[in-house]
Amino acid sequence: MKINYLDLTNFLSEKPSKEELSQKLFQLGHEHEIHGDIFDMELTPNRGDCLSLIGLARDLAVFFGKSNSIELFNDDIEPLEIDFENLSPKDCPKISFLEIEIEDSKVEYKSYLENFFNTIGGNKANLFTDISNYLSYELGQPTHCFDREAIKNKLIFENKKCNAIFKTLLGSEVSLKDRNCVFSSNSEIISLAGVMGGASTACSFNTKKVLVECAYFNPESIIGKSIKYNLVSDAAHKFERGVDIASQEMVLRRFTKIVKDHAKIKSIRFKSFGEAHNEDLNIPINVNKINKILGTSLNKDEYLKHLKGLGFDILDEIKVPSYRHDIETNNDLAEEIARVIGYNNIKSNPINLQKISDNFDGKVAKLESLLVKNGFFEVINFPFTSSNEKESINIDNPLDSNRNSLRESLKNSLIENLLYNERRQKDSIKLFEISDIYTKGIQIKQQKKLGLIISGRQGHNYNQYSKKLDQKYLNNFLNESHGKDIFEIVEISRNSLNTKKKDKIYYVEIPLEEIPDSFFSKLSTQRKAIDFIEYKPISEYPSSTRDFSFVIEDMQVVHEIIHMLNNISDEIIKDSFLFDYYKDDKRKIIKLGYRFIFQSHLKTLSDSEINKKVNEILSPTLETDGVSIPGM
Amino acid sequence: MSNLDIINPPVIFNELGTIHPINQTKDFLLRLLSDIGFEEVHGPEIETEEFNFDMLNIKKSHPARQMHDTFYVENKKNVLRTHTSPVQIRSMLESKPPIAFTSAGKVYRKDDDATHLPMFHQVEGIYVDENVTFANLKDLIHKILYELFGDNVQIRFRPSYFPFTEPSAEVDILSDSGKWLEILGCGVVNPVVLENCNINSNKYSGLAFGLGVERIAMLKYGVNDIREFYKSNLDFLAQFK
Repeated sequence: MKINYLDLTNFLSEKPSKEELSQKLFQLGHEHEIHGDIFDMELTPNRGDCLSLIGLARDLAVFFGKSNSIELFNDDIEPLEIDFENLSPKDCPKISFLEIEIEDSKVEYKSYLENFFNTIGGNKANLFTDISNYLSYELGQPTHCFDREAIKNKLIFENKKCNAIFKTLLGSEVSLKDRNCVFSSNSEIISLAGVMGGASTACSFNTKKVLVECAYFNPESIIGKSIKYNLVSDAAHKFERGVDIASQEMVLRRFTKIVKDHAKIKSIRFKSFGEAHNEDLNIPINVNKINKILGTSLNKDEYLKHLKGLGFDILDEIKVPSYRHDIETNNDLAEEIARVIGYNNIKSNPINLQKISDNFDGKVAKLESLLVKNGFFEVINFPFTSSNEKESINIDNPLDSNRNSLRESLKNSLIENLLYNERRQKDSIKLFEISDIYTKGIQIKQQKKLGLIISGRQGHNYNQYSKKLDQKYLNNFLNESHGKDIFEIVEISRNSLNTKKKDKIYYVEIPLEEIPDSFFSKLSTQRKAIDFIEYKPISEYPSSTRDFSFVIEDMQVVHEIIHMLNNISDEIIKDSFLFDYYKDDKRKIIKLGYRFIFQSHLKTLSDSEINKKVNEILSPTLETDGVSIPGM
Repeated sequence: MSNLDIINPPVIFNELGTIHPINQTKDFLLRLLSDIGFEEVHGPEIETEEFNFDMLNIKKSHPARQMHDTFYVENKKNVLRTHTSPVQIRSMLESKPPIAFTSAGKVYRKDDDATHLPMFHQVEGIYVDENVTFANLKDLIHKILYELFGDNVQIRFRPSYFPFTEPSAEVDILSDSGKWLEILGCGVVNPVVLENCNINSNKYSGLAFGLGVERIAMLKYGVNDIREFYKSNLDFLAQFK
């Protein structure tokens, strides 16, 4: 909600600067951003009463005092004769109507109305609708203007099952379904109550006689409708959060005053239906309870002064204002007091809890340690899938049809993760995921499962580089070292996968409950204290690989050369490793195979850029006696 | 020239994998909380509306219960939990104060855009005893944030709204760039929630807080895009050694 600083300060007796105002708004819990004179407010959903100038001013008055600058039409108003029936008072316990006829609708706007549309009001429509919009901004109560001449028959409010096309006053067509609160006349729906009026009874530039409807709709009756029908509605936003049921006559008197500011009134009539359910809420005065909630030592006078400043009436008890739907208990009042004192001004007080031992030697932690030690990377996947197996749990309102059920296995997620990394030139992939999996039978079944997948080279060192990840590899560290066939290793065929790679894929999935305790008893957790490294963003540019074959004739320098190579670093070197080490006994030489992977964060590297870098990084090694790269 | 046999082959360094950075961060928070005295409790991700909403004083009219915010499953019989608070409710029903529980894990909201994911992780805590106050809550939150961001971090409490706490607060820290960043939500447990869990709210009071694990991980590691955590890109994962 946007509020003009100049408009807001009109309602305050002191005139705080924008900075002072901003600071106090934050203290009260009203988040906002400031753009010039406009405060863009983001209010919590319990504070519907603050969605207006007077609403915010009521809260701020505790710091800056209140200025009574709302002028009302105070003369007597004739009773309105209107054929209206409320068939659902539960949804709309109170509703009022004002009928006004004016002589001429073509008028020049007074500065307050003109300024509203120049700053935050958007496009003008017609006098009555414009006043309605301004009033919503000023007082927080939405009103709807029907062209009086367009309603010839009985007006009915009801909550009914609809199956109709409704044309809104903004011209869009909405297909109404299920139950909705609507106004209808002559069997035609003329307004989607609390959300938006219809085109057939909307006011126009020429409307001279208007029927203004001012209602309290139960938030439960309105909620979700504007989103369901994709209608952007300030009125719905306010009704969903609760408006002031006791303010209807005041609002319509203000409406009349603004009309009178602009046009000559021929007639005014008013009628109210229903009751402002007059259960005034009173809370006993109990400052000790407030201190007990907050941990403060406030005295009664301070307590009541703060509440009065916020607009509470204090008699024998604390009377909650009719617009404060969020206040029911002492805890609510405690929050009011804390807001006035300032959360940051309440002194901290330590609690006395004893350290307890953590749970990091559990099964999950042991599995994680084992897998990380063996070079596996943990992934976390979303559970949504379209696989729709018999046991899958269906989502009633999925994000889309590809995500309309919960996975009943980790397999497809891990295959996707594998293929994703293969497409990014990864040639040694070891991934695992541990997650709860939910399936349905007679009841919903929850199982914590481990899934792991491998494909490609065993590793990037000279011992493992030419060996492929296979069944034996997994068997060795999962089953053989534990002397049992606990983990079933399956090969996943690439036939149905969208890939040209040939490396075999092996997969294991097992519920943790099926792994015997004896397996875990042999495992330990080696969890180091977490060190939050500084993350370096990943480059989206392609990488290039260069392999170099070194021939070393002087045995004294072998380790020195490897050390030099291992310590080469550069911003365009993504990775490097010794992938081959070969002793040629006959020729008395050692051959090293060393791989560099180049990648830039800024661009795709050209061959000449890579070659230049290669010359730069390799020259110290090649200047060493007895070291050469054949052909270079 | 020396004999080849006396040359030792180069040392092979064990190529370690990594635990996912979100789980590392989650575990960090759990350890921090167990050091303070919170015991971890567990519960299901598929919840009833009763435990996910009703018991937590989230009324039928609350926007969070709408189909556009919460995933409903199996013909609206259940929901994917929208927070880990129902785990605490379940645990409170089975225990008597004083209690200090923490629950951690995956939660779901019907969101999917550049800054919101349909699944993310929370760590929440609740402490119920006699005479627990807002002043106690402030002290606890300061402790947690000093552990996370150092003793010099500037902390700001702002009034907020959660149906299950009253008073409620959101807490910000001042970033290096001078901007306030929202870090967590917390509050004094709403007595209605205690009563729902058969705890006498005249005798006992409580405090509760919840942290978004992704948010903490993003700040601590300097990851700017939340979606990076869930691409399972090895170049990404390998950094968190």
